Parts: sequence; C-alpha cells; structure tokens
Amino acid sequence: MQLEQRMSGNVAIITVIGDITLNKGGDVLLKDKVNSLIHQGQKNILLDLGGVSYVDSAGLGELVQAYVTTKNRGGSLKLLNVTKRLRDLLVVTKLLTVFDTYDSEPAAVASFGAASA
Amino acid sequence: MNQPGPRLLVMDASGTRYVPLDKPLVTLGRRSESDVRIGGVGVSRHHAEIAFENGTYRLRDRDSKFGTFVNGAKTREHVLSHGDRIRLGDAADSEIMFLVDEDEPSRDRSAASAAIELRHVAGLLEGLRALGSGRVLDDVLALVLDSAIEVTGAERGFIMLAGDRGQLEFKLGRAQDRVTLPRGSFETSRKIPEEVFASGRVAIIEDLMDGRMAALHERTLALGIRHVLCVPLRLVRYVERAEDPVEDKAIGVLYLDSRERGALTSKTARTALDTLSNEAAIAIENARLYREALERARLDQELKVAAAIQQSLLPPAGRTGPFFSTAGSSVPCRAVGGDFFDYVDVAGGRFGFILGDVAGKGAPAALLAAAVLGMFGAEASYQPRCAELMTSLNRRVFRRGIEGRFLTAFYAVLGADGSLVYSNAGHNAPVLVTSGGVRRLETGGTILGLFEHAAFDEEAVQLAAGDVIVAFSDGVSEALNEAGEEYTDDRLLAAVEASRGGTPRQLLDDVLADIRRFCTTATPNDDVTLVVVRYEG
Repeated sequence: MQLEQRMSGNVAIITVIGDITLNKGGDVLLKDKVNSLIHQGQKNILLDLGGVSYVDSAGLGELVQAYVTTKNRGGSLKLLNVTKRLRDLLVVTKLLTVFDTYDSEPAAVASFGAASA
Repeated sequence: MNQPGPRLLVMDASGTRYVPLDKPLVTLGRRSESDVRIGGVGVSRHHAEIAFENGTYRLRDRDSKFGTFVNGAKTREHVLSHGDRIRLGDAADSEIMFLVDEDEPSRDRSAASAAIELRHVAGLLEGLRALGSGRVLDDVLALVLDSAIEVTGAERGFIMLAGDRGQLEFKLGRAQDRVTLPRGSFETSRKIPEEVFASGRVAIIEDLMDGRMAALHERTLALGIRHVLCVPLRLVRYVERAEDPVEDKAIGVLYLDSRERGALTSKTARTALDTLSNEAAIAIENARLYREALERARLDQELKVAAAIQQSLLPPAGRTGPFFSTAGSSVPCRAVGGDFFDYVDVAGGRFGFILGDVAGKGAPAALLAAAVLGMFGAEASYQPRCAELMTSLNRRVFRRGIEGRFLTAFYAVLGADGSLVYSNAGHNAPVLVTSGGVRRLETGGTILGLFEHAAFDEEAVQLAAGDVIVAFSDGVSEALNEAGEEYTDDRLLAAVEASRGGTPRQLLDDVLADIRRFCTTATPNDDVTLVVVRYEG
C-alpha cells in the first residue's frame, strides 16, 4: 500500500493506492498517517480510495478508527471515490451511514469548507 | 585419496568418496539422514547398516525392499572383511567397498572413544526427540564435561555458551566423578573464558602462581587454582561444494582447571580435547536446535488445546426444541478463529441464537470472540429485547478498548407462535426462506465495539411452519476458489433454495458441500460459519 499526501485549501487529501489489509501492513500505515496529521493540528482529512481494490476487516477497522480519532479531536474524516467493493462492505456493515462519501473531489473539499465556515 | 582406519569406498553418480566407519552404527540408505547416502531406484530409505560389535563390522539388511548384496550374494547379515563389495538393491550404478588399513597406527584410545561416545549421543538425540525429553541440552553438556575431565585428568570443568547477544553465559560445571558444581563456583574466573571466546585461541595457563599472572587472576587464585586449560567450542559445518565457505562459528568455551601444577599440559590431553571439543560443539548445537524445536512444538500444542477449548465453547451443532430445529457449524481457517455462534433459552419459553464474526483471524480474534460469547451468555438470558442486547454488547466491547478491533453479529429470538425478532449489527444479512420467497434480514445497526453511542434497531417478522433462517459469516460468501473467484451470496442463495425442503442438518451439509465443490482444493482464507434455524410450528 502507498500513501500520497497533498493539500487542497485547508483539506489534507491522502491518496491510498493498493490494498488496506492486515497482511500487507496497510492498516498500520494508514493509522500512523492519520494520527500524524491530527497531531500536526490538521482537522480536515479526505481519504481518496479510488486506487484501493481490497479492504479486509482489519483495514475496515482502521478506517473506522481513523474516523473516530479524527472526530474525537474535533476534526472530520471523509471518503472520496469509494470503489464498488468497499461500498458493498460499507453497506453490509451499515458504515455508509457513518462515513460521508463523495465521488467528486471539488464537492468533497467544499463540504469541509461548509462545515468549518 | 587414501584414508586410515576401517572405511567404505563409495562410488556412485555423485562421485567417489571415502566414508570412515568411526562410530558404532553407520546407516546406509536413500534418506538424507543416512551416514552413507545412496540414491537410485531400488534403494530403500533406511536400507542397511554397519554395526561395530566385538571388534568386527557387521553389515545388516534393514528389511529393504530389494535386498542387500555382498560380493554378488544376497545377505541378511554379513561380517565384513577387507575388499568386500556391497550393493544396495539393484543399484547397478553404485558400488561400495569395505576397506581396512592395517598399517595405520591406532589413535589415542581415550580421545577416540570419548569422541565416539559423543557422536553416539548426537545420534541418540534423534531418539530423545521421539521421547520428547526437555533435558537434552543439560544431558549433553554434562556428558561433554565428564568426557573432558576424564580424558584430561582435570579436577573441574565448565561450559559457557554464547547467548543471543553474543555474551558468554555459564551453563554447567562438573567435577570429577560426575558431580555437578553449584553455579556460584565459576563466577570467580570469567576472565580466561572471555579471552578465549573472543580470540578463538586455546589458552593454557601453566601456573597462575607465576608472579606476572597472579595479579590478573586474584580471585581464581583464592580458590587454589593453579592450572587452566580453556578451548573454544567451534561449530564447523563442512559444505558440499569446495567454493562455498566453510561455516566456522564459536558457540562457547570449554574450561578445565586443576590445582595440581602441570596436570593439563600433556600432549595426549591436548589432542584428546581437540577431538572432543569439535564433537561437543556439534552435539551441543544439535541439542539447542532440538530444544528450540521442542518449544515450537509446545506452542503448537497450546494452540491445539486452545482450538479444543474454542470448539467446546460453541454449542452442540444442532439443537431441537418443541417448535424449532437447528444445525450449526464453525470451521476456523487457522487453529482458532474469530467466528462464533451460540444458542440461548430466553424468558417466555423463547429460543435465541447469535452468530458473530470478530475482525481478524487467529488467536487475537478468538480471544475477543470468547469474551463476547461470555458477555452474550451473561446478558441474553434476562435481556428480552434484541436491540437492547446489541446496544449492551457494543458498549461492553467498546469499553474493552482494543484499538481497531470490532465484530459483526446477528441475534434473533424465536417464539413458539412463530414470532421472530432480530437485530443485525453490521453482519452479512442472513437469509429468510419462506414459501413466499427469500428475503434478507438487515435491520439493526453498524458494527460492534468502535462507536460508544451506536444505536441499534430490531425488526419483528412472523414466520410460518417450515420457514428457514440461514445465518452465515463472510467466510462463506467470500470463500475463494483456485481462480480467485468468490462463492458470493448468489451461489449461497441458490444452494439454500436447492435443499430448502430438508432438515436444517441436511441443508447445512448441502451448503457446506456446495462450498467445498466450488473451492475444490483452494485453501480456506477465512473462518466458515453457518447456522440454520427452522420454525417447525
């Protein structure tokens, strides 16, 4: 799994490429990344998951953990470009009601602005 | 190319070589542990052996499939003499010849016999493995020291072995007449062993009383020790190809001392010790490897016990009541798994069942699954409402605070009148099969354990006699075949539909068989759990 980070206004966008699974250590990498952003005071985090083909239960756990951590620190974490497979998983686990998901980056970035304005 | 002593001249596909007959039993065969490894068709794994008994070398056939031949004649047992030709089976492309060189002077007896004894011990390790003895290393160390004391005439002997970080650790001390010395007695003379271990060179200190040395070894002198012989224990592994480097590693030191001046200086003692220390290093290393293997085996054993405990936590596969019948199965993909199910009697004569899946696999998931089963059992008998039970389970798992750990679960309660109430916490929606068709049971909430204030709903459904609920873990719908395709909900639905008329047991067996047919030889990648409940009316 690879992580690429860039800023768009006041939103940190993390592009995730590869699987988020226990075996490939993806779950830990992602957690560390989000924790470090929060530690730096970054409150608006957008995960671009367009390049993620597979998320296992451990990976899902970390996504949720990242969401909860961000929220508890007064920030928000949203998802961009959720693949069909991950969307199905979010539907089954009813996590789609928890996460804000977007298919367009401008719309996703704008949603943070609206929230923090 | 000639070598002294009784030996075998072996000529086969891998070349010509001499194998010395320098231990009481030499094995011949195809398996890699054989002392003389002979390949080819017709050679059994453990084909024959040569035993040294009463001064003669006896060749014995070990019930080989194609027989052992000496000078062309088939034999069960044969006392070998100089020039005998041995053949294993009909391996025409290999020849073994027994040779004795009469002119070679015999080696120092004490050293040679001690070395033979140690080699014998190395061989015995094999047998000890079968017995599961945990004291192999101590036994080998004691034998090495006793032999060393015997052949050198030293008063005391100690062995120190390198630990994980290369530091020398005291392992065992022995005195003459096979007496084990208390640990503290060696603490006074660490200096010499450490120098020998670091330099890899033998140290002979003839007289500690010598003025120059005395200051350096004050504490040793206090014990009255005057004479020390210390040799490194070096593990030398010879390699098959000449260009590969020979592995040579110091694993510790053998230290001998005596109060009697000059006791350890004889050439015989030195030669004996050289021979001994090489064999000792091999025997010690083997014993260490064996002990590590034993510890791994113990872990495996603990996992087996854990697996047995986990299976015993699950209810009997099937349960039948006045108005319902069930069948359940949970097969972990590792020794233990994170899937679970349970049946419970609920107030009002109702029947409850839960099926859950803890994220992750193996022992960590199994521990949380066991904890959740405990919480469920404590709560379900007096908590009549499904949604409340889920809310309570969620809060209790959340408070455990195991980061990122969560589970999904489906819980349902069936009444004698066919009223079913259920709550689904983020779990794959179970299938309800009725005469009117199939529907999924989705109402509930999200996964358990990650959101402290998560809320859960429940739904009530009226069942008719013969209606069946099939609850399953994602190890079912996501079971992979060799092509990497998933079994999918659709295949599950088709399999359920195909055998819906049968008992829960039959339906369960049919679905499991269908999954096996689909996966063929692919290794299961997740725990597979299924529970089938039928309302009998």
